[in-house]
Amino acid sequence: MVDFARVQKELQECSRDVERSGIKVSPKGDGSLARLIGTIPGPTGTPYEGGTFQIDIALPDAYPFEPPKMKFTTKVWHPNISSQSGAICLDILKDQWSPALTLKTALLSVQALLSAPQPDDPQDAVVAQQYLKDYQTFVGTARYWTETFAKKSSLGIEEKVQKLVEMGFPEGQARTTLEAVGGDENLALEKLCSG
Amino acid sequence: MNDNQISLGDEQEEIPDSFICCVCLDLLYKPIVLSCGHVSCFWCVHRSMSSLGQSQCPLCRHEYNHFPTICQMLHFLLLKKYPVAYKRRELQILEEEKRSGCFSPQLDAHGCNSQASQDLHIQNNGTAGPKQTRGGDYEGTGNVTDEEKNSLLNTDSGSADRISVADVICAACKQLSFHPVVLNCGHVYCESCIVKPDEQMLRCNVCQSSHPSGFPKVCLVLGHFLEEQFPKEYALRRAAVQLKQADSKHENPNACATKADTQRKKLSPWSDPVHIRFGCDSCGMFPILGDRYNCLDCFEKKGFDLCSHCYNTNSKLPGRFNQQHTPEHRFKLVRKDSIRNQLKLVIGDIDDISLALIIASISSEGTISPDAQENAENRSAVHAPSTSSGDEQDESLTSD
Repeated sequence: MVDFARVQKELQECSRDVERSGIKVSPKGDGSLARLIGTIPGPTGTPYEGGTFQIDIALPDAYPFEPPKMKFTTKVWHPNISSQSGAICLDILKDQWSPALTLKTALLSVQALLSAPQPDDPQDAVVAQQYLKDYQTFVGTARYWTETFAKKSSLGIEEKVQKLVEMGFPEGQARTTLEAVGGDENLALEKLCSG
Repeated sequence: MNDNQISLGDEQEEIPDSFICCVCLDLLYKPIVLSCGHVSCFWCVHRSMSSLGQSQCPLCRHEYNHFPTICQMLHFLLLKKYPVAYKRRELQILEEEKRSGCFSPQLDAHGCNSQASQDLHIQNNGTAGPKQTRGGDYEGTGNVTDEEKNSLLNTDSGSADRISVADVICAACKQLSFHPVVLNCGHVYCESCIVKPDEQMLRCNVCQSSHPSGFPKVCLVLGHFLEEQFPKEYALRRAAVQLKQADSKHENPNACATKADTQRKKLSPWSDPVHIRFGCDSCGMFPILGDRYNCLDCFEKKGFDLCSHCYNTNSKLPGRFNQQHTPEHRFKLVRKDSIRNQLKLVIGDIDDISLALIIASISSEGTISPDAQENAENRSAVHAPSTSSGDEQDESLTSD
């Protein structure tokens, strides 16, 4: 079973250092320490700057002797991260894992991966192709995705509803859809458009 | 365990980061020093080892394939310095061990003392003169240990003063260890006291067991602690060692490391028979490559196994997991095939790439079918029913 005493210590250590690293780890709703949510800020000087990325963490029974399973829940445009599933291609989360690594150091590595893409070892072939062939478009898309999915909107719920109504959606439908997606106006728009 | 809130701030004992195990993030318990000089707990090292082939140090990825013995010096040092926290760790680990049914070796201060006085005895017989004064030191150690035991019961703080130089001496020069290195058997030497044989593996003077992993690196955790604890003595030792080195220019210390390495690399799980999940209880080789000798009379869940080298050299060391093995026990020889051939038997002839893939998947899951085959074989062949039952799960890397 998972070494919960260690996970507990990792969480304490992480919250002590959150001001400096910006990396947060917290238990996922149900209170079990085997399912966690990690948050990393997009590194400065990259198309991901200003975004806050959420990562779903599942600890296998043999943790820390097996790597934690991590994937992005925030959509991100990056050659080593699947734009569809959020799966991360990173050696330390696979065969190069060491029990001396922690959730925090693993998340730091994921953050470093954001600033240093490895298009030769891609997880998402489409993104990697774009990165190699048309770098400017890649940067544009990555920045647009960061703006769209990784930034918390400053608008209140009423303003969001208003915005959707202005686009021509009925108010009631706009409101229920917004509630269903947790207040994210872009997701709501996507959902409304798709039917 | 998860309801048991663990705070390192307990017991007003400030534990420095250097004595926190990198794997369990708690105070080191029954510490093991790998040949790269990094330290981890007994169970943490055991669980991080690969049951299939080369293991890597969790910190520096230095490759090794022998499970070292607990470093008793460091163990008693930690016990003295942090009696309360160490006791808490002992209880916690004991509970886990009871749950899993596998126990780590018992280390008692008396055993250690008698070992030390034995050494002293030999030393005194060999040479007279300056050793006399050190005899006095040893007497001192005995007293300290008894005192220390009492204090453990009283859980008295301020124990740091009671660590004396006699607790941390090199097994060869009997002085404060300078740049301490720890061999596979857990004995501590000064780096400069290690004798480098030209042809063979490094051998421990105390227990005569060989050190299979090349020339060991200095254990910095221990070295820095000694420097901090005994600044004057450590500086004196530094000066003495430097003087000695200036006198006699040493040959390249790496010469022996490369030799040992080449010796070791002759064994490979690809070509040699490999006993997945079985370790040698004498030298610690894990997994055992070559022939394996399984004890018929040890009934512990872990079983007792020796590699062919240790079997042939009549090793008298006790088991790694507190087995009650005695030299009178009988052994049976277990032969196995190499991984390549085992897999070919099971899956048929396949190309190397898919073979590598399969091996990678096995190493992550820790199971392989030939083990089950052997299990059945054991059951039919061996007279005692309990030897076969728990036998195959024993060296499992995952904690149940």
